[in-house]
Amino acid sequence: MKAGKFIITFLVIFLAIIWLMPVYLMINIAFKPISEINVGAYISPPSNPASENWLEAFEALKTSLLNSVIVSIPATLIAVFLGSWSGYAIAMYKFAGSKTLFFFIAIVTYLPYLIFLIPLVKLIVSVGLFNNLLGMIFAYVILNFPMALLITSLFFQTLPKELQEAAAVDGCPPITFYFRVLIPVSLPGLTSAAVLTFTNIWNEFIIALSLSQDPLTRLAIPTLAGLRGSYAAQWNILMAGAAIVSIPGIIVLIFLGRFFIKGLTAGAIKE
Amino acid sequence: MLGWSAIVSSMKWIGMTPIWNFAGIYNYQSLYNSSEFWLAFKNNIIWLIAFVIPTGIVGLIMAYLFEYVPRKLSSLLKSVFLYPLVISPVVAGVVWAWIFDPQYGIASTIFSVLNVHLGWLGDPAMATFCLIIAGIWQELGFALVLYIAAIGEIPREHVEAAKIDGASYWAIFVNIVIPEVGHATLIVFSLLVLYSLQVFTLVWVMTSGGPGTSTEVLPYMMYKVTFDRLMVGQGAAISMVIFAISIIVLIPISISMMRRWMS
Repeated sequence: MKAGKFIITFLVIFLAIIWLMPVYLMINIAFKPISEINVGAYISPPSNPASENWLEAFEALKTSLLNSVIVSIPATLIAVFLGSWSGYAIAMYKFAGSKTLFFFIAIVTYLPYLIFLIPLVKLIVSVGLFNNLLGMIFAYVILNFPMALLITSLFFQTLPKELQEAAAVDGCPPITFYFRVLIPVSLPGLTSAAVLTFTNIWNEFIIALSLSQDPLTRLAIPTLAGLRGSYAAQWNILMAGAAIVSIPGIIVLIFLGRFFIKGLTAGAIKE
Repeated sequence: MLGWSAIVSSMKWIGMTPIWNFAGIYNYQSLYNSSEFWLAFKNNIIWLIAFVIPTGIVGLIMAYLFEYVPRKLSSLLKSVFLYPLVISPVVAGVVWAWIFDPQYGIASTIFSVLNVHLGWLGDPAMATFCLIIAGIWQELGFALVLYIAAIGEIPREHVEAAKIDGASYWAIFVNIVIPEVGHATLIVFSLLVLYSLQVFTLVWVMTSGGPGTSTEVLPYMMYKVTFDRLMVGQGAAISMVIFAISIIVLIPISISMMRRWMS
């Protein structure tokens, strides 16, 4: 078994190195001048690390990075707040049809959201929020609400029933109970929902692409996609841009990775 | 919104403003007769086979191998497979578009040293498979963490007892792990199928459906038909096709989740 374990560990490390290659290449190229890339020096570290690519990419992205922050943070908070309220109702009060309701929420959570693209764009246009950050917040809240609901309600299920019973005996109304008791003990569940929702929204492409045509209100991801046209063969600048927009996701993984995994496996795994 | 789409899919709506001219099943009929639709459909099936199955199986095998990786290393290694999930598919698309670029890409550089000259993203027969590799790179971590969690749920005694009996790695995998992670298998494979049904961004960023229309998939065609050609009725019809396929995949997992959680 000992030798077997060693070989397995070696194999997994080998695969992990392959998995890291794309991001290594991305960062490596982002530090190189185009002259070095054109001669095929991809893998060797940059002889003279340059920050110009990063500055140029940042310059092209900065307005839309700010837009992404303005959209993704409020949309995450609202979606998780509304989702957790409804998740709480479903998990705590077993009413007739709550099973069916849960079934439909699971369906809506995992339906490809592309199906809602056409009606959603028409809706946003008709309420006059096209090319408007508010329109995107609204769209992302609608699209992420079911997932936030699902994750939080699964979490609330794991809480002991006695918690609520004790509160009811003490005459604690549901709203007070929610804020005073439930939120503090459910912080891990709420964080999982928030982390997953935030990365979804930050990285999302097609909704962001379809809800704004204006460079002033475009989000970071569609702007990066657009750079592929404007910097056609300048891979070094593109790679710097790609690395910059990846920072929030990587930060989330480093500091909140545990919650990210919990959110991903919610529904599949019982505590 | 779904009902609205269903209604629009039976309208002859072309252009920016709604046109409520009832067209019955006209939009579906013209899809049925369109070779572009069947090409996109075929590409979705290629994704189904060449993306879903390898990702799911490799994810399961890797999750099992992780059982034997020293604990100190395993959370670090897990993050390596997870990071593609927290970066945007646009980022993945940009990086992999460069890797498989026929002119500047590292794949063509390496292979031309070996005197093998391939078309990569420029080759209609190969381009979809290049996209699929990017997809596998991005989604493997998802299958991996779900399976790691599912394997973690297997009662330790089962595995330990088998080890004492001198069962091989392979025997433990086949006789204990595979049967006991059935629930996770249903979820992993269903969600990977759903991923393959909405693969849009990688296609948009890496090939724009090209060369020609060779890498188009249903979601990409839906977007193009709706927002470039402004044939909204037809686009809605494609989205209803995606919906119909998705719902077939979704009903079993939703039922099983409901059973598991509301009992």
